[in-house]
Amino acid sequence: MHQSDKSEQTIATPNFIGMLIQAQEDALSEIASSELSAEELRITLLGAKSELAKLTKQIRSVPEADRPQVGTVVNQVKQTIEETLQKHQASSIKHQEDWVDVTAPGILPPQGHLHIVSQAISEITRIFERIGFTRVRHPEVDWDWYVFESLNMPPNHPARDEWETFFIDYPGKPGKDPKKQKVVLTPHTSNGQVREMEKGTLPIRMINIAKCYRRQSDVSHVPMFHQFEGLYVDHNVSIAHLKGVLDYFVKQFFGPERKARIRPFHFQFTEPSFEVDISCGVCLGKGCRLCKEGWLELGGAGMVHPVVLKNGGVDTSTYSGFAFGWGIERTYMMKAGTQLDDIRLLYSNDVRFLEQF
Amino acid sequence: MNILIPDSWLREYLVTKATAKQIKEYLSLCGPSVERINTVGKEIVYDIEVTGNRPDSMSVVGIAREAAAILPRFGISAKLVNDPYETTSKIKNLKLKIEKTLTIKTDPILNPRWTSVVMENVTVKPSPQWLKDKLEATGIRSLNNVIDITNYLMRAYGQPAHAFDFDAIADKPNHATMTLRASKRGEKLITLDGKSHALPGDDIVIEDGKGRLIDLCGIMGGKNSSITSTTKTVILFMQTYDPVRIRKTSMALAHRTEAAGLFEKGLDSQLVLPTIHKGIELMTELTGGIVASKLYDIYPKPYKPHQVSVHRQKVDIYMGTQLADKEIHAILSTLGFTPTITKDTITVTVPSFRRDVAIDVDIIEELARLYGYHNIQTKLPDSEPPVVLPNLQLTWEEEIKVRLRDWGYTELYTYSMISEELMDTFTLDKSKAYKISNPLTSDWAYMRPSLWPSMLTAIKQNINLKPALQLFELSMTYTYRPNELPIETPVLIVAWTGHKFFEAKGLAQAIFSLFGRPLPESPIHDKQKLHNWDDKMRLLLGDYGSISEVNPELLTKLEIDQPVTIFWVHLDELIKNAQQNKTFHPIPKYPPIVEDLAFAVPPNFMVGPVIEALKKIHPLVSGVTLLDIYNDTRTFHITYLNPKKNLTDEEVTPIRKKLIACALAFGAVFKEGSTP
Repeated sequence: MHQSDKSEQTIATPNFIGMLIQAQEDALSEIASSELSAEELRITLLGAKSELAKLTKQIRSVPEADRPQVGTVVNQVKQTIEETLQKHQASSIKHQEDWVDVTAPGILPPQGHLHIVSQAISEITRIFERIGFTRVRHPEVDWDWYVFESLNMPPNHPARDEWETFFIDYPGKPGKDPKKQKVVLTPHTSNGQVREMEKGTLPIRMINIAKCYRRQSDVSHVPMFHQFEGLYVDHNVSIAHLKGVLDYFVKQFFGPERKARIRPFHFQFTEPSFEVDISCGVCLGKGCRLCKEGWLELGGAGMVHPVVLKNGGVDTSTYSGFAFGWGIERTYMMKAGTQLDDIRLLYSNDVRFLEQF
Repeated sequence: MNILIPDSWLREYLVTKATAKQIKEYLSLCGPSVERINTVGKEIVYDIEVTGNRPDSMSVVGIAREAAAILPRFGISAKLVNDPYETTSKIKNLKLKIEKTLTIKTDPILNPRWTSVVMENVTVKPSPQWLKDKLEATGIRSLNNVIDITNYLMRAYGQPAHAFDFDAIADKPNHATMTLRASKRGEKLITLDGKSHALPGDDIVIEDGKGRLIDLCGIMGGKNSSITSTTKTVILFMQTYDPVRIRKTSMALAHRTEAAGLFEKGLDSQLVLPTIHKGIELMTELTGGIVASKLYDIYPKPYKPHQVSVHRQKVDIYMGTQLADKEIHAILSTLGFTPTITKDTITVTVPSFRRDVAIDVDIIEELARLYGYHNIQTKLPDSEPPVVLPNLQLTWEEEIKVRLRDWGYTELYTYSMISEELMDTFTLDKSKAYKISNPLTSDWAYMRPSLWPSMLTAIKQNINLKPALQLFELSMTYTYRPNELPIETPVLIVAWTGHKFFEAKGLAQAIFSLFGRPLPESPIHDKQKLHNWDDKMRLLLGDYGSISEVNPELLTKLEIDQPVTIFWVHLDELIKNAQQNKTFHPIPKYPPIVEDLAFAVPPNFMVGPVIEALKKIHPLVSGVTLLDIYNDTRTFHITYLNPKKNLTDEEVTPIRKKLIACALAFGAVFKEGSTP
């Protein structure tokens, strides 16, 4: 065993380390002065035929006990040469003083997102403000009186079926006031009508925007949504004025080329009542594959029913009014280009959806 | 309510050259909305939405009547024919061999009009093809000739009809007893669809001579008296009922039938007789039936036409235009009204089928829709707008939301309703919460008293979708008030994933400063906690809200595996206490002296109170901010300023000494050599 070791010439450890240090110094000075490329230098200095490679083979000539220490030095030398080569390579790329890469991405300001509903509410509020309608807020959880009875829908009236209403288990005992007996979640914003009249100031030009609740959930319905309700009470209010306001809104919100029209309908709290349509954004009312008839249904409107005015304490011999109201989400989705096909996405709370708006 | 009307059936009552497309368009503009035209085989079928106030239009004749009034307004002649109100009965001339009798007891309040007739020699068999086709085109399944006739009458005239098997209820030969009365609570009845009902009470029912209930009136007949393939003798039966009772029963039993949908809206007693006449005619023709009794017609309070008036001035205001007498007369007459027009007033006699016309504005609607809403002007109101102060709450909400968006936060709208499970997890008091009595799912059961459950649910949902979430919501919470509606309080909640206490505090400071308010800080040392929601990193903001990291135990319960930081605030309180007026301070003419002072501080040191104290040391100290926290060293950045002259070191030195002494009182030891 190990006979061959003894037969070879041995080198004293300090000498060997000295040879390694010398090799490193030679290599570094060559890197500093050489015209060769970094790749060529790497072959010369670290390749199989390099001085360092020769020395590495001679490690066996060092006394066995010192070999681990010598091995460490060899590695350090190799590493130093390699690092120097890399620096040399990097510094050989000339710095361009006058060059800015304008295609590199910019530094963004903080990117937050408002929910679509907030955006739509602001837009609608601004539109009506410009014609003197002020946004107000009324309760979302309200007495049956304001939601149904005062709006000409007595208990058990079939018209109540249209509103898929959530009822509230009243925590406590109702008092004696007949108007404060049952609590419901408002299925529409029309509870604001009598409440607004009760403030006692006429004329009224209000926009009531609030959360509404209905017992339904599918691609076009969510159990919680938002409505905006316009109410105008003054002397000499006409259907022409309602048409004017609707047409103004449609042009402002959907675009100047769009039109509004009203058709007969029925609500208990307006008389006459109307269905409001807007001309299709694609064919502008001529009829196309998308809309079929040229018109799309937007929502309901009407002249305030005398019973409602009376319930709000308004003198029907001198005052009349109109009201309209419909869903914020639906209205926004009808805006060209939204391409939202499932209303439930709005309330999915998925940041990947929310951050698109 | 939607109704399917086949075009060929419509034209049995309407003579016009109008095309289906014209009928659809013009009816929709001035009357019932024709939603679409379907083609079923060779038949054109109109799908029409009829509003709840117009049960008279829930029939082929009703739609024909509307069309006959509307189409001429568009220059297309149209005429109503075979009007049931105008036809005289052919039955009168029949020679009756009276054999069978009915003993009828009824109540005019529950049942304003009762008609019935017994027909014998009936053969129950499939209907002829023309009848099958008609019914199927209008969405009714053909069963047999007798049932089909009753359905035909309902669709043609809008008057539901019923047929009993005479032999099934006969109590004596050639005799049956029918007693119409209000039901008692708990009485039982099986309707002909096989469903068993325990009646809520006060429902309109008919009892036979053996004391059995045979009809749940206005909703569905009883199984025990229904027509079968072996029926030979039939009682044909048509009537009107108190609409409110029909409505109550139908809703209470959740038994909604087409008949109930019609009866609950109030039908015309005047139409009952023409309908049974037509029924007898069809029974004779299609079943071989022979009239075997007199025609019973119990109608103690016959219809008396009523009148409604409207001021012409009001009509003019509503329409924004003046209609000529001639036009008013033409419109109202074609709709079946009898108008009397004076200079000031229009008075109409209302036809029996238009009980919806009861007050002045109802006449305005008739005039305006036939005149054409599309012909009415479009103009904005020209009166003076009211002077209204804006609602500050709403203005601020918009402002805060926009700020948060621009600061990099994303807005959520979560549902206002939360589950019972979440109420429990957050130990919210269910006895003082507004609970939905008919929730759609158990996820939406309580009106939330706090935004925390919804926000943490949203965090959980999104936690793996994005490395760092910054979400906010500004919505109502619903707080209990005895014997009242809840207080709807607008609350802002902002949530971060990660240890973000100081980001949260910074945001809170920025929001409070919008309202001109310093951040009220009340750190809590002891274990006093309002809820078990917060961890030790918690700062109460007086009565406004708090900033905290969420209790890890709660996060574990919610299966959230990252720290979450929350800031919430009562926005209404902040708005109430806003200090919006900003005061101008002259821009200094002389330069300030600034220096940084470093102090060594003991463990659990609170820097906030020190800064507040240092600021108040001397009028020439114009600013103290925290420059740095490093291990146990706190470095303050001090600004000295004299607005009237240049400051000298001699003036600053004694002030500095006071600052150092002040800090020492808090336990902070000045580190020599840190002065500039």
